[in-house]
Amino acid sequence: MNDLKIITKRALGVLILSLLLVIGLIIFSIKYTKEASDWAQYPANKHIYANGQLMNTGTIYDRNGKFLFKIEEGSGKYNENKLIRESVMHAVGDSGGNIITSARVVFADRLNGWDFLNGSYRFNNKLSKFSSDVKLTLDADLCATAYKALNGRKGTVGVYNYKTGEILCMVSSPSFDPMNPPDIDGNPEKYEGVYINRFLSATYTPGSIFKLVTAAAAIDNIDDIDSKTYHCEGNLEINGKLVTCMSSHGDITFKEALAESCNIAFAEISLDVGANTLQKYAEKAGFNSSLEVNDIKTAVGKVDLKEAKGADLAWAGIGQYTDLANPLNFMTYVGAIANDGVRISPRIRKDNILSNVCTSVTGKKRILSKETADKLGDMMRNDVMQVYGENNYKGLELCAKSGTAEVGNDKKPHAWFVGYMDREDCPLAFAVIVENGGLGGTVAGPVAATVLQKAVDLLQEE
Amino acid sequence: MDNILDIIEQLLNTVVVWSQNIGVKFGIFLSNYINPAEIYTLVFRWIIPVLAVMIFFRCISILLSNAGYNTVWGFLDIPNGYKIPIMHWENSIGRSKLSDIVINLPFISRSHAVITYSEGNWVVTDLGSKGGVFVNGNKVDNSEMVEDGDMVSLASADFLFHLSEPTQDKKENHFFNFFNLTKNINSGKTLLFILIFQLIGSIQIFLSSWEDKNTSILLTFLLFIIVECFYYLILKKYSKKYLELELIIFFLCGLNLLVVASAAPAFLFKQLIAIILGIIVYFILQVIINDLTRARKLKYILVVFSILLMLLNLILGESRFGARNWINLGFITFQPMEFVKIAFVLAGTATLDKLLTTRNLTAFIGFSGICIGALIIMSDLGTAVIFFGAFLVIAFMRSGDFRTIALICSGAILGAFVVVSFIPYIAARFEAWGHVWEFADSLGYQQTRTMIAIASGGFLGVGGGRGFLVNIPASDTDLVFGILCEEWGLIVGVTAVLIIVFLAIFAVFIIRGCKSSFYAIAASGAVSIYLMQTILNIFGSIDFLPLTGVTLPFISNGGSSMITSWALLAFVKAADDRYRPDKEVIYEENEDNIYEYDEYELDEEE
Repeated sequence: MNDLKIITKRALGVLILSLLLVIGLIIFSIKYTKEASDWAQYPANKHIYANGQLMNTGTIYDRNGKFLFKIEEGSGKYNENKLIRESVMHAVGDSGGNIITSARVVFADRLNGWDFLNGSYRFNNKLSKFSSDVKLTLDADLCATAYKALNGRKGTVGVYNYKTGEILCMVSSPSFDPMNPPDIDGNPEKYEGVYINRFLSATYTPGSIFKLVTAAAAIDNIDDIDSKTYHCEGNLEINGKLVTCMSSHGDITFKEALAESCNIAFAEISLDVGANTLQKYAEKAGFNSSLEVNDIKTAVGKVDLKEAKGADLAWAGIGQYTDLANPLNFMTYVGAIANDGVRISPRIRKDNILSNVCTSVTGKKRILSKETADKLGDMMRNDVMQVYGENNYKGLELCAKSGTAEVGNDKKPHAWFVGYMDREDCPLAFAVIVENGGLGGTVAGPVAATVLQKAVDLLQEE
Repeated sequence: MDNILDIIEQLLNTVVVWSQNIGVKFGIFLSNYINPAEIYTLVFRWIIPVLAVMIFFRCISILLSNAGYNTVWGFLDIPNGYKIPIMHWENSIGRSKLSDIVINLPFISRSHAVITYSEGNWVVTDLGSKGGVFVNGNKVDNSEMVEDGDMVSLASADFLFHLSEPTQDKKENHFFNFFNLTKNINSGKTLLFILIFQLIGSIQIFLSSWEDKNTSILLTFLLFIIVECFYYLILKKYSKKYLELELIIFFLCGLNLLVVASAAPAFLFKQLIAIILGIIVYFILQVIINDLTRARKLKYILVVFSILLMLLNLILGESRFGARNWINLGFITFQPMEFVKIAFVLAGTATLDKLLTTRNLTAFIGFSGICIGALIIMSDLGTAVIFFGAFLVIAFMRSGDFRTIALICSGAILGAFVVVSFIPYIAARFEAWGHVWEFADSLGYQQTRTMIAIASGGFLGVGGGRGFLVNIPASDTDLVFGILCEEWGLIVGVTAVLIIVFLAIFAVFIIRGCKSSFYAIAASGAVSIYLMQTILNIFGSIDFLPLTGVTLPFISNGGSSMITSWALLAFVKAADDRYRPDKEVIYEENEDNIYEYDEYELDEEE
């Protein structure tokens, strides 16, 4: 009764315009939370850049505080050792920002000095510099050893602590010296995929290492798996298609089949388990999903058994068919076997204490039962004792599985070697791939042995 | 996830740095490493946003908490002794629930009559009712003056019309009375916070440009603070109205001066003069439109004047940044279209009797057409859109008809396409729209720099005078939101925008208790111009809309824009009739006086 009622109703237009403004502000806020970090890193930002060049950044250190990289007064400073520079190039990054999973790109906010609260504001005080430094979990010396062991062959080596998730070694080859970049475009063959960190961003046909997934499915789903024997005559015909094996193993048990990596036995096991179950176990093992390593997303491995029947399913169960595995992702599966079936999320940053506390709570995921993990572990230990030779891996308490992944096109197969050390003082899991290297055990195995021996030495020094 | 945790760590680090600095203060490093300007920024960048948010809430809670006060101008008495209070200068009477005075009798039309106050007299106007309107028994043909003690009859219902001394009907609004907190908010203290904000800000900019030793920055701010204090003290004594509306605008003007001090220090004093002129225009306009007769005369004078101004612009206009919307008279340059906005809003106004008797919008549509046409010739598309937006708001208030509006809209959108495709300069701006990062160093240069600047500022800003956006062309007008966010932080930037939103909400809030629909329409027109400008300016600079180069009210650098913003504020102020608690005359509502026709609840169709 007190209002100018007609005219108040008609003031709707003002409310609509206000609403538009408020909605726009809300959309902007959402956009801001998503993209502000990218905006601030654009080279036109005069707070960080001068003439398109970064002026100052925080320092990247390895786990022991070894200096890896920083920019001071517009010029990049690197570690003095060329081998270290090359071996951590993918983890740290190059001057062009080409490696999108590198610390220089992923932690650019912190290194270059940006966060939501303060924007690009930095108090210009020598004392506060540390707040933009980044400490990695990597051990530069271990990376150098691994890179040297690859000896120029294309491939990747990764080692991580399966109890804490810290990645100690992450090397991708080919690499180059970021301080003196070579002519990469002129040597496309030599530097094929040089800007990709193979450990994080590549996928390979897994070959026999996939038998660890098939075996887990078998342990849980085939009741009398231990008492069963399989018969191998070098090949097996399923519905007119052939599954072949490296040799003719004759009568063979489940345990022996994994050690000898018998394709025929695992072909039959795959058919027994069935496509659905195998698919389920592959997904538990981390296939078809990406892992996050401090905001770095890994490439997604692939197992797709929707259409797989007969020989296709058999081949899929022994890591061929259309299977693809990401090295880091598979390494964490092996890590889970080592850690009683619990997968610890891997991480690359050592200094983000709060994040690390959170990861230790939320970054755990049980993917296998303890019994299954223990049993797989025993069988992997048996692989080393029976086939790979304990002498080659003295004192490492190694549990491992090799893989020789056929890639077709008359190329040599990829050599895989994955496993872990069953030692309380060195709880390390690893994955080694040598592209077109040949047999897994004989080509990738020695690389693993060298790296792990060095890792044991370094950890004991710590 | 990592980002959030990083922020927490940064916060912890800041605490560490702070504690270290306390150590530093006690003499270890001293000025070799640390410059006092940096220490100043380190501390005060935290205080600035806190003050901004506090000022915002102090002002809006006062302005909204007491909305709903109404003045009673007179009564309609019915024979059994009940009194119906007359709360406005314009009151519609009828059976419809939308009427200001609802009389639920079957023989009363839905909209029967209006009683209005104009030129010192009360007038009753028949809205073409079936039963007719009679004054002292004589049938009213169109409208008829009524005097104190006259008998007004609507069909066969008789009312005794008598006037009373204007009194206020106190009605607390509980929605916005934040747990009665508003009672403790003292406007003097709010002013003090605003002054502190401006003082801190000006010292910040002064220290950032230490090498220049530009003391005129401090001097200008001191003058501004004196102006604010004078205004406050005078109005506190002589005005009965709330002062928070001006206070919150003083806050915006302070931001304006901070932006100018950082981006164009040479123009700082000129800008202060513009603010003072703005306040004077604001004051004079208020005095003029306080009387509806004078207001109506002013309307015609201004309309004629603005048509002349537009002609002058078309003849003498100078081009800046592509639009030919400047006039240079040698001693002064200004944007005439800014001043036309005032006439435009006034042209749209109408009193309730006109509103309900004639639905004729031709004159207003004609004038709007002239304005928008002139703007298109000047290639000032942004301002044309502002006029169009305000036109829609006002036209709907005038006609209340969605169909007409829809028709106008579709016509305009079609027209806009034609215009855009014919003017190459504007077409180029549309080309980069929505993907400016692909044109980061060409067509999207200004927008991308704005976004970079906003991101660089974070929530707290890098400190006044330390931004880089000020070096980008036209940043102090078109990209001013970016400067605010970069130097003073996102919190301050968003607060400034929310103040504009608040002005709009406030206008809608107070027009319910407005004396006349003339003021209601003027206030709505004024805030819709603010809103349109804000939408185009801010969303243009961050690439939600094409960048059209319009100013942000009160905040952008520029004299014409500042004076016009103040002038438009007079319309908002005029719509607010409420008295401050310390000045109000309390009218105790007597329950017995409430008139109800409940016993006649028949509600039949006419």
